[in-house]
Amino acid sequence: MMEKLKLAVFELTDCGGCALNILFLYERLFDLLEFYEISEFHMATSLSGENHYDVALITGTVSSQRDLALLKEARNHSDYLIALGTCATHGSVQASVEGSIRKKLEKVYGDKGNPMRALDSKPVVEYVAVDFALPGCPYDKEEIYQVLIDIAKGVEPVRKDYPVCIECKLNEYECVLVKKNLPCLGPITYGGCNAACIRSGLGCIGCRGPLPGEVNPASEYEILKDLGYDDDYIIRKFKTFARWEP
Amino acid sequence: MIIELREFTRVEGNGKAEIVVEDGEVKNVRLKIVEGPRFFELLTLGRHYYDVPDLEARICAICYLSHSVASVMAIERAFGVDVPEEIQLLRELGLIGELLESHALHLYLLVAPDVFGYPDAIRMATKHGELVREGLAIKAFGNRLREIIGGREIHGINVKPGGFGRYPTVEELELFERESGALLKLARRAVRLFASLEPYGEKAEHFVATDGYLWGDELVSDEEGTFHYTERIEERSLVYSFAKQSRYNGEPFLVGALARLLLKADSLTPMAKRLFEEHREKLATGYVSYNNLAQAIELVYSLERANEIAKTLLDKGLDGENIPIEVREGEGIGYVEAPRGVLIHHYRIDGSGNVVYSNIITPTALNHTMMELSLLREAKRGYGELDEGSLIQRLEETVRAFDPCISCSVHIVKL
Ligand code: SF4
Ligand code: SF4
Repeated sequence: MMEKLKLAVFELTDCGGCALNILFLYERLFDLLEFYEISEFHMATSLSGENHYDVALITGTVSSQRDLALLKEARNHSDYLIALGTCATHGSVQASVEGSIRKKLEKVYGDKGNPMRALDSKPVVEYVAVDFALPGCPYDKEEIYQVLIDIAKGVEPVRKDYPVCIECKLNEYECVLVKKNLPCLGPITYGGCNAACIRSGLGCIGCRGPLPGEVNPASEYEILKDLGYDDDYIIRKFKTFARWEP
Repeated sequence: MIIELREFTRVEGNGKAEIVVEDGEVKNVRLKIVEGPRFFELLTLGRHYYDVPDLEARICAICYLSHSVASVMAIERAFGVDVPEEIQLLRELGLIGELLESHALHLYLLVAPDVFGYPDAIRMATKHGELVREGLAIKAFGNRLREIIGGREIHGINVKPGGFGRYPTVEELELFERESGALLKLARRAVRLFASLEPYGEKAEHFVATDGYLWGDELVSDEEGTFHYTERIEERSLVYSFAKQSRYNGEPFLVGALARLLLKADSLTPMAKRLFEEHREKLATGYVSYNNLAQAIELVYSLERANEIAKTLLDKGLDGENIPIEVREGEGIGYVEAPRGVLIHHYRIDGSGNVVYSNIITPTALNHTMMELSLLREAKRGYGELDEGSLIQRLEETVRAFDPCISCSVHIVKL
């Protein structure tokens, strides 16, 4: 039998969702285990201590010296490294909290300064080169399943390059932006969630991060302004999952 | 001498412990939460109330819905909004889903390997595959509830102030009714398994919970009537941890499944009540390790209660109407029982609907002191008796009994 690939899951500072989502594959986790053996997955196993991984999944942001050291360690010891989830790819909510780390710590912990060598939260991709980036807060678990199967079969996984809007059209969901005047970031957000929030009749809050390329944040901005939302509100909404300049 | 334990495994988030040994004796234990801070209260400041529950959900994936619901409740109270029974029952159904998902994850995938001597559930599955699959079935059902009520398995945005984006269909309610009934047998088996665990950790002397089973208007404790958290619970910062520690009337205390059962057994469903009575003596000793047994009994409670709620809603039919919100200046607290215990969201909102003050206290932060004491007790018992490997194993088990959620615990601020 073919030798199994060594898979690692490393969790930096985050909500745990992107690691947990792997366990939510349920029975199909066992299908993945036909190809992979889990060598490091802190949330799920007490085993660890390998020094080489074929595929490493990194979730979370770099928010402390511990995170940074762990990230470098993971990069140095793995062949194929995936930044998994919006924390890792764009910084997600914690990276959108403005102000310097020192000021923030002071506000929270009093004047003791920086008790544990915290860093300002940044996505993994700002520190190391990654072989693949899969956004989503959390990402769609079908997607990671496919990506891992592709890699196991020696196929380079495909990155989605269309906005959430396309998925609304495919599902024939009513457009909440046009029909309900809800602030929806679907037009400028990476697709791949199958328009999960629009299924609930609510506007996309942009959890998969901004789609680069042809999309037009300026026109989204104008649409929201026309609907009566003020600048401050729109900018904060844009910047919730990724610090970017609209 | 200081013994550094490596980071805990099979818990949510990143934490570790240090044992301080002097003259051959364990003197102290420090529980270090090394997970970086995420500044959730700062994140919500200045944000429009409507967006806040979706942001707060991101505090924790295992209990995102508890955060959304607590947040929504605090906002509704600030605006003086009361929602009808239908909306309350649906929220309860979502919280029950979360309890099932979280307890099943903890018991079957994280604790059961200790019981059978494996490093994880995947390796345990070779011999005990059926048990693992039973756990996954309960967990999947819990997640199904979260998906339909909450909008997604993780971080759905369907729970809103005043109601929901989308209401469940009759077919979905029928599915809830059917599946909850079918899974009950599995949950009862789990109770038997976890009843066999021996006591360890510290004996808790004080327990705190919300005054209703899964949420409340105020908190309750074993020795007094209801109260607000600001009256009796105090937090302080530590130099060695990103999480703060809390005390109740200056004393360590426990929140979570064991506290809920001991304080609110009267509101249990019939089968859960019988099981509670059967194990009451054990549970009442207060050993924190019995939190595992309490969680197993809560699996039974949750499935029975989900069944009741689905029946009630099917009989009455759903209106699917949201309550309109009128923005005004105000302040509100939402108390919810997250799977791991009391969760508090507290906001002040200004006249334009923006949050101007926010405070969040999570169960793991409330249990932090108790956790440290339990580690100390086990370290004292085991040091010199057990070899290092077994000592560490025992300490890990002790931490695990709390089902700590470390991500959650690091967002505590008072501004
Ligand atoms: S991307 Fe979202 S779901 Fe994933 S770890 Fe970060 S906060 Fe959690
Ligand atoms: S619709 Fe938007 S907010 Fe919702 S899951 Fe998809 S990308 Fe995230």
